[in-house]
Amino acid sequence: MRPSPIQPLPARSSRYGIDPQLVKKRFAELPGMTSVTLRELFPDSPNVIYPSAEGIAAIRRATEEKMEQMDLSMIQPYQSVNVLASHHGFTLLGGEPYAEVLRTIYDVVKRRTGAKEVRLRAGVGLRFRETEEYIKRFELKQYFDRALGMAPIDEGIPIETEIGTLYGLKRAYDADWIIHVHNSDVREVHFHRQVDRAVKPFGMSYARIETRSTYHQNLGPRAANFTARAIFESPFVQSKFVGAVFMNMSPSGVVSIEADNDLYKINDTVTLDGLRYYGKVFHLLGRIDECIVGLDFPCPVPYVFSAGVIYCNFVGANVDLFDLDVKLPPYTWYTEAFYGKDGRPLLPDISPVNPAIRMVIHNYAWIGYPSAFFAQQLPTLVVGKEQAELFEHDPQNMEYMKYAMVADNLEDAMRFAYRTTGTDKVLVFDGAVGGMNVSASLADHLMKEAPAASAYVESVLMPKWLKQRGIHVFA
Amino acid sequence: MRLINTVARIIDDKCTGCKICAQVCPTLAITMEPIPGSKNRKLAIVADEQCTGCTACEQRCPFDAIYMENMEESRVIGVNPAQVEQERLQQICYDAHLHPEQVVCYCTGTRAEEVAAAILLGADTPDKISMATGLRTGCTVECLQPAMRLLHAAGHHPEPQKGMYQWYGATPTIWDIPDEIKEKYVQRGFYFDDDIEFMERIRNYQSNAEASANGSKGEVK
Repeated sequence: MRPSPIQPLPARSSRYGIDPQLVKKRFAELPGMTSVTLRELFPDSPNVIYPSAEGIAAIRRATEEKMEQMDLSMIQPYQSVNVLASHHGFTLLGGEPYAEVLRTIYDVVKRRTGAKEVRLRAGVGLRFRETEEYIKRFELKQYFDRALGMAPIDEGIPIETEIGTLYGLKRAYDADWIIHVHNSDVREVHFHRQVDRAVKPFGMSYARIETRSTYHQNLGPRAANFTARAIFESPFVQSKFVGAVFMNMSPSGVVSIEADNDLYKINDTVTLDGLRYYGKVFHLLGRIDECIVGLDFPCPVPYVFSAGVIYCNFVGANVDLFDLDVKLPPYTWYTEAFYGKDGRPLLPDISPVNPAIRMVIHNYAWIGYPSAFFAQQLPTLVVGKEQAELFEHDPQNMEYMKYAMVADNLEDAMRFAYRTTGTDKVLVFDGAVGGMNVSASLADHLMKEAPAASAYVESVLMPKWLKQRGIHVFA
Repeated sequence: MRLINTVARIIDDKCTGCKICAQVCPTLAITMEPIPGSKNRKLAIVADEQCTGCTACEQRCPFDAIYMENMEESRVIGVNPAQVEQERLQQICYDAHLHPEQVVCYCTGTRAEEVAAAILLGADTPDKISMATGLRTGCTVECLQPAMRLLHAAGHHPEPQKGMYQWYGATPTIWDIPDEIKEKYVQRGFYFDDDIEFMERIRNYQSNAEASANGSKGEVK
């Protein structure tokens, strides 16, 4: 008999989502749902320091230990330091681990350098108030000397790079020194392709619209993340860069904290670990033949996640997203750009979205990210008229409800989905920690496929992925 | 084409006249007007007919002095590409390394041909393009550069307004990256030349109908 579903992360109050009280039922409460843990699927899953019996203290301890190796001697007591953060970190494991990393950095920098002012500068994606909500929720304004959210439309500064002028956010760089604080969750692999993962925020959450548009429109699907490297390598950024602190993630939780003055050293670690820890789950999900997808997490549509894999990764799981020979994932903004007026790709070799997805039941997900493509390509049922109305009035999603339909409640939506798709396999993206919530039939399928998926990744895919990124691993 | 169904509203009592809303509005719909009877104080004023409901002002106001109001009657803005000379439209897109059908704004679904048409009809700055097509009025972030590329291809080189944050300028494209830079980083997984080749295939794609009309052998679906 299979175990009960893992408790999903609760609905959360935000200007980008419906009132949590309107989320009447979660997928995990439906009959027939169960869970499968990552340890069951892959017995070699890494041990994690969080979640663990030690609790949040493990994060503080690891951050302090790793920061001991960082040289902070360049920071003088009369100087200021900007601790640069991004919204993504706050969406992992409820946000508390990332908040604790940030608090610990503040304490360590103050203690070791006596710096006059240590500020938090937290960048965002496309929801300009998002980190302001996190700053408030985790009381970071009270902790830091100053704490501010930054948006890509805020005042910018030109940054001269080896490919020309790009633009950063003035507030990111308005201190004598910067410390880059991020996480290694693979997440937007469709954009960064696990190339320079650790560098990405320099081209994104610390960057102005000019730069972000360069990334997503000017460079191309496999060259895009060079935007971030160009900015990071600029003399201006290098003159302020102290080092970086990372939550090194696996689909099961925080594996370690990495801290170093050399970002590329961290980059090599998280690139390799990302391929190791996430590669098997990605590949396994690509072996699902058919399913109904449930969206049920306080994040925009593409970012809701299951076992460390975000929904839009699953939309592209019919190809190997880590394989750099794949020019274009089935979903990325470049792909979306290359769909013609007839709703089909302009070129025949552009892969369609994952045909295993038979229907999407959008029980709970946020606005604030252009998501119409998903509803255009996949039959989508949105639960509740309030949620539909929220999307209808979101300037980034004016067309989402043009293609999606509305169901009154989750039970009716699922009855319709079971009947019309003919499958009883259900994969839920609800942020369950340590595993994924699925229907019993999908749990059986995943358990059956996992050993072969694991062996194939180890023997065939990993060597290829590493070679493509110029990473040499010595046993 | 862009459906507009919300409009920004200023809460006068909370507005401090800081003008951040005016600095970030992609359609220049907000101006700062003197408060009658006061010496130096100004208040933000929204021109409803220019507001696209993008929420940029509302999300950046430091004083929560702006809210979005659902409109009783929605309206649509957009430019029909068919109303301009097609050869010129296609040439602008081609010179900007874009296929006319290529989507250049992921929020509004605006295609390159609509932006090119707006330019041919007189939109010579990113702001005017936004007013005409709705481009850059969703997330307001990701679609600036295609607008700049199309403007440059049409011979326009607009300068940003001093003290405003709407946009600063054009940035490099993959076609500008020097060979020595490509060579320096290709081993790290950046596929510059392959991406150029792929994007050129997109630019040169012709539909079956177009190919037969031109008598050419374009790549077809």
